[in-house]
Amino acid sequence: MVGIDPKAATKTPPKVVTIRVRRYNPVSGREWWQEYKVETHRGMTVLDALLKIKEEIDHTLVMRYSCRMGVCGSCGMVINGTPRLACQTQIAEVADEANPVITVEPLYNFPVIRDLLTDFTSFFEKHRKVMPYLIRNDREEQEDPKGQYLMSREDYEYLEEFTLCISCGLCYAACPVAAIDPDYLGPQALGYLFRYVIDTRDEAWEMRLKIADDEHGCHRCHYAGTCSMVCPKVVDPAQAIQRLRSILFKYKLGLYRKKKISGISPPPKEWKPRKPLPPEAKPVSSEVDYKKLEEEPVVIEVEDRRITLRHKIYE
Amino acid sequence: MSSGGPRTKRNMPGLLRASLNPWLVRVPDHPERLAFVLHRVTGVIIILYLLAHIVVTGTPAWRGWAAWDSLMTQFNNIWNQIGEFIVAGSVLFHGMNGIRLLLTEFFGLCLGEPEPPKPPYIPPTYRACQRKLLYAVFALWPILWFVAGLLIFGVW
Amino acid sequence: MAASRIQVWQYITAILLIFFLGYHLAERLPWLWGYHHYHETLYSQFVQHQYHSWWAGGLLILAYVALFHGLNGVRGILYEWRPRWGRAWDALFWLIFIIFAILGTYTVVKLW
Repeated sequence: MVGIDPKAATKTPPKVVTIRVRRYNPVSGREWWQEYKVETHRGMTVLDALLKIKEEIDHTLVMRYSCRMGVCGSCGMVINGTPRLACQTQIAEVADEANPVITVEPLYNFPVIRDLLTDFTSFFEKHRKVMPYLIRNDREEQEDPKGQYLMSREDYEYLEEFTLCISCGLCYAACPVAAIDPDYLGPQALGYLFRYVIDTRDEAWEMRLKIADDEHGCHRCHYAGTCSMVCPKVVDPAQAIQRLRSILFKYKLGLYRKKKISGISPPPKEWKPRKPLPPEAKPVSSEVDYKKLEEEPVVIEVEDRRITLRHKIYE
Repeated sequence: MSSGGPRTKRNMPGLLRASLNPWLVRVPDHPERLAFVLHRVTGVIIILYLLAHIVVTGTPAWRGWAAWDSLMTQFNNIWNQIGEFIVAGSVLFHGMNGIRLLLTEFFGLCLGEPEPPKPPYIPPTYRACQRKLLYAVFALWPILWFVAGLLIFGVW
Repeated sequence: MAASRIQVWQYITAILLIFFLGYHLAERLPWLWGYHHYHETLYSQFVQHQYHSWWAGGLLILAYVALFHGLNGVRGILYEWRPRWGRAWDALFWLIFIIFAILGTYTVVKLW
């Protein structure tokens, strides 16, 4: 919801922005705000700006990042008061000519190791606590599978959004209960727990409900819902926790029936013969000069919305 | 860790800031957070009133009905009326928002159906009828509170 | 102990409160009872009557239910504030609940 603006990258940011970083030195214990002036370019993200600062202005600035494309979930920060992924936040989105100042703080509710780097140890301990993996009663079969666990398309679509979590911690940083209670499991872990409770392939759902049924589990949620608002993957943990709590109460009152646990697909009786290649396809011969292949550019043909990637070597 | 060595900084806003400031995290178009803060604050006001109410309504049992009537005459002043007005507003909000929370948290209704993300990427919770219920609460609350005010301040 | 054993009552009491507190508040609407002002509904002339009717039992249930719901809400906040003192908050919750429930019961039974 926040931070998903497909047109943001087409806007022109102010030429120079001031990045105000909340810094922390763990040795001296000093905390301070530091300002950096950064020249921008179109398409520049907050992470780009921070990396530019680190490369050109101040090498001591510390942050965590990895993929730079909103997949790994490492660069969560509080940008202008909102938890966001720095790599997914365009400068043009959070600053303009009238107000070219961007404040960057470490994620709330996480212990700060240094500057923008936060400690995820307890966050991942909570993640581990909810057992975020499939559990079947037949452990032997699970270790040495003979087929695939079946799942209907509808069942998959129901839980698909909850599988998209990248554990970036933005929901946890936005949560008003995580801001008070360090033992609260948090939206991320509870969202994951719900995802496995409703999974028709999972047989440990009663065990999972017991984990959620704790004073610091799903009952601590008060449906402020900011978690879903800041999620960069539209996971909606707020909905997951309310549904989880509702399931838990129904289960306690003897009213909950889980959908039938899915079976295992039968092993294929015989392998079908591979389809032959179409006559126009030319397999790469063993005499291909790979060095040449690397030097020559790939030809990209766009014709009537069909994109073809072709290499000169095949011509 | 030794006192001189590097140590992590606790970065949690704590009870008062998280419970009283709905704009602790800046998110546009997010009345649920405001409702959470109001629900909590009104809840605390109501429980404090309830405890006092149980003690005060015990008066006729301990000291007779004459004492109760003189107490009610004594309480009929502007400061008590303002207090009653605040409690009435608290009960109205807590009650109406409570019905919404009952539906969502207890019955698992009005939450929208989970679906694979698609543009414009608004989570189902915020397109569901709970949001409409919340708008209804925010619309009805001032009206009912105003009516309660007319009664309490003796205008009506 | 599973937390839902207490928490499920938070919602059951909430449902009960809608009806019981709803009626209790409706008692303060003067025109329903033939009065002109809200304040008149607070005096013994009107209130005394309530303790001799079926509503005396309702008041008793309302007191228990409201106390449980309210105090458990506060218990939850205290749990968030100081998670390590969980047992102390539980004990405090039951202590205050019992004291005020006795007080409420005494009032209703005495005035019945």
